[in-house]
Amino acid sequence: MLAKATYFFRTLAVILLSAVFFLVFKSILPKRIFSETKIASKHVTIDSILLETISAEQEISTAENGVDSFSRKKIVFEQIDGITFPAEEYEQYKGFQYLIPFYEKLYQMETEQKGDVRIAYFGDSMTDGDMIVQDFRRALQNQYGGKGVGFVPITSESANSRSSVVHQFSPNWKTQSYLNVKRPLNPFGVNGHVFFANDTVSQPWVSYKAGKGLHTSNLDNPTLFYGKSDNKNGEIILKTGKDTLIKKLNPEKLVNALSLSTSLKYLKASFKKADSIPIYGFNFDDGKGVHVDNFSNRGNSGLPISTFNVNVMNQFQERFDYDLIILHYGTNVLNYGSYNYTWYERKMNQVVNHLKACFPGVTIMVISTADKATKYDLEMKTDSAVVPLSLAQKKYAIQSKSGFFNLYEAMGGEGSMTKWVEEEVPAMAAKDYTHFSYRGAQKVADLLYNQLQEGYVAYKNLRKRQKVVPAKTVSDSVLTPKKPEHEK
Amino acid sequence: MKLLSNSRQWLETLVGNPTWEQVQSWFVFDPQKPLLFNSALFLGLFLVFYFFYILTQKTHRLRIAYVVAFSLFFYYKSSGIFFLLIIFSSVLDYAIAKLIYDEKDTFYRKFYLVVSLVVNLGLLGYFKYTNFFIDNTNLLFDRNFEFQDIILPVGISFYTFQTLSYTIDVYRKELEPTKSFMDFLFFVSFFPQLVAGPIVRASDFIPQIYKKLKLTKEEFNAALFLIIGGLLKKAVISDYISINFVDRVFDAPNSYSAFENLMASYGYAIQIYCDFSGYSDMAIGLALLMGFWLPPNFRTPYQSASVTEFWRRWHISLSSWLRDYLYISLGGNRKGKFRTYVNLFLTMLLGGLWHGASWKFVFWGVLHGLALAVERYFGMFIKLPKNYFVRTIQIFLTFHFVAFCWLFFRAKDFPTAFEIMQNIGKITFNPQQWMIIAQGYQNVFLLIAIGFVWHFLPHNFIKLLQKGFDATPLIGKAVVLAFVYWIVYATASAGPQPFIYFQF
Repeated sequence: MLAKATYFFRTLAVILLSAVFFLVFKSILPKRIFSETKIASKHVTIDSILLETISAEQEISTAENGVDSFSRKKIVFEQIDGITFPAEEYEQYKGFQYLIPFYEKLYQMETEQKGDVRIAYFGDSMTDGDMIVQDFRRALQNQYGGKGVGFVPITSESANSRSSVVHQFSPNWKTQSYLNVKRPLNPFGVNGHVFFANDTVSQPWVSYKAGKGLHTSNLDNPTLFYGKSDNKNGEIILKTGKDTLIKKLNPEKLVNALSLSTSLKYLKASFKKADSIPIYGFNFDDGKGVHVDNFSNRGNSGLPISTFNVNVMNQFQERFDYDLIILHYGTNVLNYGSYNYTWYERKMNQVVNHLKACFPGVTIMVISTADKATKYDLEMKTDSAVVPLSLAQKKYAIQSKSGFFNLYEAMGGEGSMTKWVEEEVPAMAAKDYTHFSYRGAQKVADLLYNQLQEGYVAYKNLRKRQKVVPAKTVSDSVLTPKKPEHEK
Repeated sequence: MKLLSNSRQWLETLVGNPTWEQVQSWFVFDPQKPLLFNSALFLGLFLVFYFFYILTQKTHRLRIAYVVAFSLFFYYKSSGIFFLLIIFSSVLDYAIAKLIYDEKDTFYRKFYLVVSLVVNLGLLGYFKYTNFFIDNTNLLFDRNFEFQDIILPVGISFYTFQTLSYTIDVYRKELEPTKSFMDFLFFVSFFPQLVAGPIVRASDFIPQIYKKLKLTKEEFNAALFLIIGGLLKKAVISDYISINFVDRVFDAPNSYSAFENLMASYGYAIQIYCDFSGYSDMAIGLALLMGFWLPPNFRTPYQSASVTEFWRRWHISLSSWLRDYLYISLGGNRKGKFRTYVNLFLTMLLGGLWHGASWKFVFWGVLHGLALAVERYFGMFIKLPKNYFVRTIQIFLTFHFVAFCWLFFRAKDFPTAFEIMQNIGKITFNPQQWMIIAQGYQNVFLLIAIGFVWHFLPHNFIKLLQKGFDATPLIGKAVVLAFVYWIVYATASAGPQPFIYFQF
């Protein structure tokens, strides 16, 4: 009789027991398997300056731990060119005041059709493949005119994913990056890289094809940028369709520009006998309106910018006349255990000062880290490091008199990354809960553009209300903030 | 007294101390958190459910009503208010089937069947294909109709096919209707297979309702073995490799190297198998524990030596449904050679569309349909020698064809699928680079490897494992089960792996 009894009650017993055993296992066995793999390989991009800084900081931090002299009171601005934005609450800090020289240049261009405006957008993997920047560029060029994708380097780890320009290159380029090289053979170019066509067996080449964008459907005025060298025999061989053009490189100055053609759809350049000449990249713009250069670099924390050579950058600035530098970093600084970011604040403050020396007259805008989610107890939540880091970024923006865009808050603050990944259809961010999708990148660009526009509209109103408009010409002197005549 | 407080403390650290809100959330619909078999919440709910279930095992009406109530609650947890739709469809189909059964006139019988088909397929079409239709109309006629805000009820594709099989079988006089409406609702809403199959035939299931409930030792062992395998496939292999690797590559293929693109394609092949067959296995196991036999849904499909064989081993409940109710209704192979090919092709095309409202699913179906037609045609002329070597090559080719077709199934659109193909096309033989990538993704690649090795293990070896498991005492089985829960839990706790930027 018993043998024929069904197994229902035994099943219940087994399931009940398994649940109890599970609770026991849960309390004695590790909480997670598949720990994150950290691999050290020269083939994995890591910001070595960041790592050095962190290990150095860990020794210092015990001494000055927790000392925070920063006051969180209202931020009162000193006037620039007779214009003063109203004081701002620390929590909502945007720092439009510090963008006045940029806004004035934009205003001159808009009203008098004078000059052009150039923006350097430094970033990490968030702007890989021209994500965010291409949308930001398009919005600006829609509003203020301008054509071209701006500066494009010789090689790029994310060239394949870029659609604003189709960019290919031979594998035999020697590349040095400010991310992991401290003393390059020649100074880095404006995007933090320097390239050498050292291969004598087969000529290194690079090709660009105009992308599909409304304002980037041509390679406008392609211009090669290269640095100084003793080698006077270097040549660039240019193929544009059926034509072949050979031009001599003349590497005399720290930064040399070689104009190659007018507008093209496609160009392929190979380099002959050009070894030891530092090659920087190509620029494509029409000289009018707004141009935005994307200097994205996977793994970058922002700190490597401190290795820029001032003399070289001064020459780039002479040529490009940057009005605004955007610093979009943070993702690579999030996962280092400590929530104390005073070291990052301090170092980035130095980076901004260094940038001001490199690019005289430029204004700076800092973008905070985006929201990033991490798993806490089976649930994806905002990483505990996001808020401390974004605060540190805000603080260095205030201290270094830079504008500030709080991307974390603009996305929706706490928990927004999880929403962007899981609730939006199609998703606005990837499953690593860090990077944006094309749709998300577009949204971020819109948010950024809107804040910049908000400041510009406010600036124009303030300017109108000013009784005496100072006579202005578009020159660098206008762009340097003047000392306030009387302080409050 | 001290002992009591100590043991209470111990229990609290184990179970935690749920708040009232948490307890409420267990019973309220949350679109972000459907009730999955591999969740702790389901384990808890099932335990309580099962206790009362076996108390009611000797009754019929009470037990049926009890299971229906739990099933509807289970569906409500995944789809909210749409549980009413299941009740509505069931009322209608039950009534129509009864009309068909009672009707003698062939014309009216046909008429009722058409009404049933129109209503059932109409509902499925409305919820699943309205926006697809609008999109295509706009494209074709250059119009600008707005998309409708329609939420797809979970599992509607599955239960619609189940109710259709009931009506058609009654129409074909192969099945007697259920004795009561509740019995029918029990069949439609039976929670183990409700949201993700297998698609259970009315003729397989309904007779079981009227049998005396039993669970033999062999069934018990088989059920646990299925559930354990299902948990590991679905909640460990599939979930981990999708979030940490496959999804990322498919989201932005151009950000990854050729080798990563290739591995993501293989990864997806094993991911979709583990996800789908794992969930099916859990469903079959759970039903078995409740005393019901559901048909097997997967038989190691990548071991197939042809696409024809693949469809006899992949999602069997769907392919056999399509064969019996669509292919045969179209005329099958009874209307001449040419019509046979057309029918085969149409069945696969519609079968593709069943998977999702998008042309990429149609294309996926068409590719498989063409393969079936080609195999059928050449099978008439070419007789390959049957040996181990030939079969291995056939398996290799079949697998790669299937994996290739999955690209269209998984990629969000055609351009993305072509991007992946292009990227894979750029692959160069570079074992050193592959090793570095494999190190970077060592957990993912390990799980992909385990998934494939497991899939290709000889049948006898699995049998041996099963025998070993059967011989384990009950307490040992509970320990094994608990250990598997822990693996699932510890996998789910692992956060998404950070991005790795390779440069070569």
